[in-house]
Amino acid sequence: MTRYEGKKVVIIGGTSGIGLTTAKMLVEGGARVLVTGRSQAGLDSTQQELGQNGIAVSSDARSLTDIDALAARVMAEFASFDLLFVNAGFSMFAPLGNVDEASFDEMINLNAKGPFFAVQKLSPLISRGGSVVLTTSTANVKGMPMVAAYGGAKAALRSFARTFAAELLPAGIRVNAVSPGPTETPIIGKAFSDKAMADHLTGEMRQANPMKRFGTPEEVAKAVLFLAFDATFTTGFELPVDGGWSQL
Amino acid sequence: MDQYQGKTAVILGGTSGIGLATAKMLVERGARVLVTGRSQAGLESTRAELGESALVVSSDAGSLKDIDALAERAKDAFGALDLLFLNAGAAHFAPFEQTTEAVYDEMFDVNTKGSFFTVQKLAPLINRGGAVVFTTAISNAKGMPMLAAAGATKAATRSFVRTFAAELLPQGIRVNAVSPGPIDTPNWGKAFPDKDVAAQLTGQLSDANPMKRLGASEEVAKAVLFLAFDATYTTGAEIPVDGGQSQL
Repeated sequence: MTRYEGKKVVIIGGTSGIGLTTAKMLVEGGARVLVTGRSQAGLDSTQQELGQNGIAVSSDARSLTDIDALAARVMAEFASFDLLFVNAGFSMFAPLGNVDEASFDEMINLNAKGPFFAVQKLSPLISRGGSVVLTTSTANVKGMPMVAAYGGAKAALRSFARTFAAELLPAGIRVNAVSPGPTETPIIGKAFSDKAMADHLTGEMRQANPMKRFGTPEEVAKAVLFLAFDATFTTGFELPVDGGWSQL
Repeated sequence: MDQYQGKTAVILGGTSGIGLATAKMLVERGARVLVTGRSQAGLESTRAELGESALVVSSDAGSLKDIDALAERAKDAFGALDLLFLNAGAAHFAPFEQTTEAVYDEMFDVNTKGSFFTVQKLAPLINRGGAVVFTTAISNAKGMPMLAAAGATKAATRSFVRTFAAELLPQGIRVNAVSPGPIDTPNWGKAFPDKDVAAQLTGQLSDANPMKRLGASEEVAKAVLFLAFDATYTTGAEIPVDGGQSQL
């Protein structure tokens, strides 16, 4: 497959789940991909998995210093690129009464502030005809218990998709979002160290979903690639990949 | 390319514009397609263009009798279907003060009632894992002068998408929509026989669009095929293909 031959892509949060799957599909299609992550183990395994067309870079998606360094690195590696996929994100699960200021700030910084400045610093390197894809969440449009701060941050991100789309239109860059529902990724295991608790929660999420199953990272990745390369008359939009949850 | 080898599709309103572009992509990639239309000239040119892999059938999308006959024809030809694409539509441009009952009824009969009963009659033929795609319109979500009745017919179909998605989920059938903005199709010439008027209007539509152009039928067709065959964890959704007009 040489569908993405010559394309250059940056994926923030690309060492597991949706980001890693998207990176793999792109590399298989002939693209060169730079992915970021934080854990050294994740970076090492990702570098091995992606091979010579992948570059795994240690970068904290919340840190403006790291984002500046990332922009310099991307400039050095690619000069210009075609897709910025801002996928880093994480949710802590806690009832409103238990959310302290530090965890609130953590949610907003990782899920909204980091992506804001990542697009600010990296979009000048995106080629005309290129695009930005943001990973939002069903929690942005549905009232879901225990994810108030995360849902708020993702709603902010959804709003950025529209405003960035307007601001980047003169540069010929489209901005869209994918909004995953429950997806089979390691993120749930990370949020709940207690396995029985994680199993209970995933069971409930499966039952609550119209399709009665989790989505796969591949299903979300296909939507990312559609928005990035095929949806040439679509911008400012959020595509749900959620088993119908936001609609039914 | 044999991406759609073995797939069968029925396209209501498939002899020009978006419907024809979708039919062509499907046939080129190995699918068998049945398309409907009304004008004899359109039916004949489509037959010539699509060749042997396509059945081109005269059928009025607003006639329940024709819809019954179409269901029979689709069953005889294909046995079962993978995609039902409801793309037939009538749009008359008129200020609502000047919209007559006959024009109002024609638009609701074709766009709303016709599509409702087409899904009712043809959904039983759709395979598990298959899909329904509607063509809605940006006028369903935006206030646009001269499109009061047309926009309302499409708002009704946007609602059908959600309810049908819920009702057809147990059969494993997904239901989604594409929402085109201004697209470069022969409809403009049909709606405005005076060439200067048509050119002036399409010029205004380009200027009013964030991307400052009309979309191509192929751009909408790609979204239709994405929803039909790739978006396996998405149902009840609507993808705008509108240059950002509904979002910015």
